[in-house]
Amino acid sequence: MLPLSIKDDEYKPPRLNLLRKVSGWFRSILADKTSRNLFSFLCLNLSFAFVELLYGIWSNSLGLISDSFHMFFDCTALLAGLAASVISKWRSNDAFSYGYVRAEVLAGFVNGLFLIFTAFFIFSEGVERALEPPDVHHERLLPVSILGFIVNLIGIFVFQHGGHGHSHGSGHEHSHSLFNGGLSHGHSHGNHGHSLEHKHSHGHTHGHGHGHSHGQDYCHDDHSLEVMAGSSKQILQGVFLHIVADTLGSIGVIISAILMQNYGLMIADPICSMLIALLIGVSIVPLLKESIGILMQRTPPSLENALPQCYQRVQQLQGVYSLHDPHFWTLCTDVYIGTLKLLVAPDADGRWILSQTHNIFTQAGVRQLYIQIDVAAM
Amino acid sequence: RCWQNRRARLLCMLALTFLFFVVEVAVSRVTSSLAMLSDSFHMLSDVMALVVALVAVRFAQRTRATKKNTFGWVRAEVMGALVNAVFLTALCFTILLEAIERFTEPHEIQQPLVVIAVGVAGLIINLLGLCLFNHHGAGGHGHAHGHGHSHGGRQHPRGGPKSEQPPGDGELHREETSTLVENCSSSNGVSQEKLGDMKDDMSDVQVNGNAGHYPLDEEEVEEDSSAQLNMRGVFLHVFGDALGSVIVVVNALLFYGLWNPCPEDGPCFNPCVNDHCMENATLSQALGRANKSEQEVITVAGPCWLLYLDPVLCLIMVCILLYTTYPLLRESALILLQTVPKQIDVHSLNSKLRTLEGVEAIHELHIWQLAGSRIIGTAHIKCPDPSTYMMVAKRIKEIFHDEGIHATTIQPEFASVGSESGRGKCELPCRTQCALKQCCGTGEDSTAKKTEKSSSLSISCSEVVIEFPKTRRTKSESIPSVKLEANTDQNEQFESSL
Repeated sequence: MLPLSIKDDEYKPPRLNLLRKVSGWFRSILADKTSRNLFSFLCLNLSFAFVELLYGIWSNSLGLISDSFHMFFDCTALLAGLAASVISKWRSNDAFSYGYVRAEVLAGFVNGLFLIFTAFFIFSEGVERALEPPDVHHERLLPVSILGFIVNLIGIFVFQHGGHGHSHGSGHEHSHSLFNGGLSHGHSHGNHGHSLEHKHSHGHTHGHGHGHSHGQDYCHDDHSLEVMAGSSKQILQGVFLHIVADTLGSIGVIISAILMQNYGLMIADPICSMLIALLIGVSIVPLLKESIGILMQRTPPSLENALPQCYQRVQQLQGVYSLHDPHFWTLCTDVYIGTLKLLVAPDADGRWILSQTHNIFTQAGVRQLYIQIDVAAM
Repeated sequence: RCWQNRRARLLCMLALTFLFFVVEVAVSRVTSSLAMLSDSFHMLSDVMALVVALVAVRFAQRTRATKKNTFGWVRAEVMGALVNAVFLTALCFTILLEAIERFTEPHEIQQPLVVIAVGVAGLIINLLGLCLFNHHGAGGHGHAHGHGHSHGGRQHPRGGPKSEQPPGDGELHREETSTLVENCSSSNGVSQEKLGDMKDDMSDVQVNGNAGHYPLDEEEVEEDSSAQLNMRGVFLHVFGDALGSVIVVVNALLFYGLWNPCPEDGPCFNPCVNDHCMENATLSQALGRANKSEQEVITVAGPCWLLYLDPVLCLIMVCILLYTTYPLLRESALILLQTVPKQIDVHSLNSKLRTLEGVEAIHELHIWQLAGSRIIGTAHIKCPDPSTYMMVAKRIKEIFHDEGIHATTIQPEFASVGSESGRGKCELPCRTQCALKQCCGTGEDSTAKKTEKSSSLSISCSEVVIEFPKTRRTKSESIPSVKLEANTDQNEQFESSL
């Protein structure tokens, strides 16, 4: 059998190999619509951050510089999502017998964690600032926040077709508000305080939405779109929700800036920070719950109702005495794996039982099954 | 005593840290030092890490299967380790950002004495924590799978009656029966709780007893490696905190010793802070005089490099922390990605299984680590007929046990009558849906069929990275022939299903 790809790594100089790898990654990213969108959004955010950094250096405003650093920090989460979407497409090998498909779930989980940390951080800064309100310089805040708001709106229009992901047949758990590990920052981290004693409080107008595609891909092998695009529907929905939250955040920043400018309500800024932190925290919870469920090898929620009926049907098969030790878990979204053991009579037809059981569970949506047949002693 | 239990240790440390957090907040209010307040929030994040680890330990002790978590909550510890590692990384980034900010605008430390005092107190607490958790992290590579060889058990990971005892790590890992079933009287119901109860009743009825059953006492001896992972996460967190305290103390000491502050009265020139107002006025005069004598009319604040000491030390600390956190992050992430555990060589396992008499082919061999030493394996084994299967099944299980895989589920597949060569074709293919998401399906080689099939994907798969860059095993070129056919045939099935 002729190999289609010639692995001539030994002949190639190492640098070229790296180049090929990277180009391979790019191609993988550009192939899928979701990751393409993500990539472009990442580029947009990165450029926004660079612009902010340069402007901050030019105008010697520390607040803008630190804000741009925070944006870079956020971009790493977007990057993680992209990386996950590339990695999960790699093939299975010796070390990873299931392939890398779990990378998305893991990336969603890690991003959720990062978000919680960010929310905690914002909250603590808000508390600090509420206790000791620093000098605020908010002249530059408003234009930056408005710019961020515009970036968000772009994101909303781009990811608008997110719609609602459907899973065929089995449950619709996944169409709830999954955040899929995106970042939403409407930091209204107030403004740049340049008072010497205090730490700086920076004006974050992270009015940018970050789309993350990791999280729960879908295997839709029907519907009008091709398989890959079907999987991205859910991701887009998550991204969309994030951007909406981000937009709300930047609206909050704008409002607080206006309040501070016109009414001198300095307390508006920390309160806004804290509210936004709470909002981020609350929105993360569904994503975290789902990711944790998958990672903990929990029985898939969409199968929970169907499984006992399947057990009953299996036990009614001729020759089956009992069913033991069922384990069903999610590998990645919509891919369920199950193992169980059957105690059968000595004269039972093993093949027939096996195929029937497979059918029963395939109807429930579990395709990967491992059924162990134990024959009862006489 | 604080020494026996994992949980007790965590609780001790948690109480101490929380107390210290409260103290720091109070001190910061009294001295109105914002730096102290921000440091107290660092302490709070420490508390959170400890809480996460504690929750993970609590959950992981529930090893009994429930309806929703058929594997029990055993994986909680791996998750706890991952959460801690991720928090640590995020913390490192935050510190990095703050350090960079400090570079551009350095601060003086106000009231260095108070800072020294609090820093030393924090350091003591952290060192105590290090001692508490170091005992765990370095030693104790006990494995729980030593107990696993008591045949005749029914369910795996069940603690049975013993799990309620000392903070049970290393639960007994009884494996499944082989083909001949000793206790037919096990329940017919499927609900896991019922099974669990019956299991408790029957725990003394088991054939072959629990000969290899070690008592679950000393924790230091029988530490499940997943618990180790969790504790490592906590240890690293405390370690990072200790480093931070060291930096704070060193910095404050040097500052206290060497810094010449601007006195309250009289004009003062501070060359380190970029203050545009004073520049033109005092620069020439200040530089004209000598530097650090206090009797001058215009005093110059102390050596500027002191102000940059803090960010530099912070950077060093960040590097150290990232370096030590990365292995933990990797390890827990790999477990969660369902990797084959490092110590198992899939190829040799495969070849051992194939050389058994009566085994025609092996499909869908998956081995993954649930947590710690609990390794789970599944496979389809193709045999000519049921009687051969029964003969061979026991040996198959033994091979798995020798590798340390105690929870196995083997599905027999019987060749259909009249099929030409039983080799290869998977009777009940899994038609894995993940293949749709992967580039070119699940095979390791890209054959012509695959590239045709994957024409909907616009990537040429031969260029997408195939080997995981840090593969620990031989490359997949050396594919055993049977497996190759198996994959090919699976792809045939896959094709036909489209």
